[in-house]
Amino acid sequence: MSNVSDRIGFLERGLDMSDALKPAVHPTAGETSERTAEVVFDLQQLSVLYGDFRAVRDGTLQIRDQQITAFIGPSGCGKTTMLRCFNRMNDFIPTARVEGKVLYHGVDLYDPAVNSTEVRRRIGMVFQKPNPFPKSIYDNVAYGPRLLGVKKRSQLDEVVERSLQGAALWDEVKDRLKESGLGLSGGQQQRLCIARAIAVEPDVILMDEPCSALDPIATGRIEELMAEMKTDYTIVIVTHNMQQAARVSDRTAFFTTEINPDSDRRTGILVEYDRTDKIFSNPADQRTEDYVTGRFG
Amino acid sequence: MNTEVRSHYHEELDEVRTGIARMSAGVTELIPRATQVLLEADLEGADLVIEGDSLFDERSIVLEELCFSIIALQAPVASDLRLLVSSVKIIADVERSADLCVNICKATRRIYSHELDANLRGMIQKLGVQASRLFKEATEAYLHNDGSRAAAIQDMDGYLDDLHRQFIQVIFESHSAGTIDLQVAVQLALVARFYERIGDHAVNVGERTRYIVSGWVPDQPYAESGTNFDEVDPGGPTGDGG
Repeated sequence: MSNVSDRIGFLERGLDMSDALKPAVHPTAGETSERTAEVVFDLQQLSVLYGDFRAVRDGTLQIRDQQITAFIGPSGCGKTTMLRCFNRMNDFIPTARVEGKVLYHGVDLYDPAVNSTEVRRRIGMVFQKPNPFPKSIYDNVAYGPRLLGVKKRSQLDEVVERSLQGAALWDEVKDRLKESGLGLSGGQQQRLCIARAIAVEPDVILMDEPCSALDPIATGRIEELMAEMKTDYTIVIVTHNMQQAARVSDRTAFFTTEINPDSDRRTGILVEYDRTDKIFSNPADQRTEDYVTGRFG
Repeated sequence: MNTEVRSHYHEELDEVRTGIARMSAGVTELIPRATQVLLEADLEGADLVIEGDSLFDERSIVLEELCFSIIALQAPVASDLRLLVSSVKIIADVERSADLCVNICKATRRIYSHELDANLRGMIQKLGVQASRLFKEATEAYLHNDGSRAAAIQDMDGYLDDLHRQFIQVIFESHSAGTIDLQVAVQLALVARFYERIGDHAVNVGERTRYIVSGWVPDQPYAESGTNFDEVDPGGPTGDGG
């Protein structure tokens, strides 16, 4: 009804098209939040080295709150390596070290005073292959909160339900919370992993090719879920599926590789970082254009 | 390093581009034919042009379907997407221009048996030459993805518009001098309009070509491409390609 009166209202205002013709009003979610959203990650000249090999160099970009940022690029371009810097996952590789800075809400994540466990609580990760623990659905989700010291059953119940609902899995599993998480389908397992990640109330969710092991329907569900989740979380996703980046993200970073002149090893570089619609309709850099149109693989 | 990974897809894109360019080149040749038909009162030639139009119609449908199928199956992005979306529009411009040549030939039938004085004939000749020149430029600019060449078409069209105005003036003069009757005057005014419209379609093809090259719609302040992508350079993100 209100729609109809809106339309009539428009007609009653006569043929004044000035509203309809106002330039530069494209309130996509990414666009609106871009102006107001806080910078969550501020990468400054970030390089990651494995021993003396520089895997990715000079990454400088800002990731803002309530946006989905996608990293795309050919294999070996350093997009996953860069993603893993966001919650210090590279700490587990003895030879890995970083140069440059990763500021998280203005705090240098690699400052020695920073507690890496706390970093990983605030910045959760979902991996390529669903990896539920060999435990019940309930225990999978309750695992993190228990580690953090939540003991009361009622409190845990509440967290489990809220997290499973947040991961759009609750209705499918609410009657079999005691069954093994491994008995779920691939898509359900991945949503269980998302529920497990959000159970500890993180601020950011990193996703490393979260749909590459899923069929198109399960992929669609996860993508739908991401769109719902971005009002509460900052999401960074690495994907090999360019269409997925185009569908779900607000901003896209394109990485590629350059061959080092003195060896045949390749170093990843950030080529272009911009609004996703720009990257896929009119990228500024020829290398981005060649990659997204499939002229370079 | 630069290994082509979607060669079949890119061949299809080439097919769209050359197919449209070929059709557009056909119109470039059709314009002088229509002019000749009109000046020589060649009724047989008029029939041939009118019947031949179905080929342009058929070709335009085939090319349009090819564009849709690539869009549906290949998920084109960036310059490929701009090429396909623009090509669908360019097909319509080219097809319509062929129709306008048909209209010129139909006018030939209507003014048959009326003599045209040298002044009018000279103007018709000039209109035909300029319209055809515009179409040739538009075709070549599109085929070679040449933004700067496409940008020149707008200026060339200014001359065609001038010719159009002059021709209308000559029609008035001939009519008041009593050398042509009202029916012929009206038909010739329409013919002038047909040439002028062909020029406008060539300008459209040129503008769309510039969009394919640069991702920027010229002179369209309300286009998203002209306003939102201007964080770097208000004149367009990558210049105008030429």
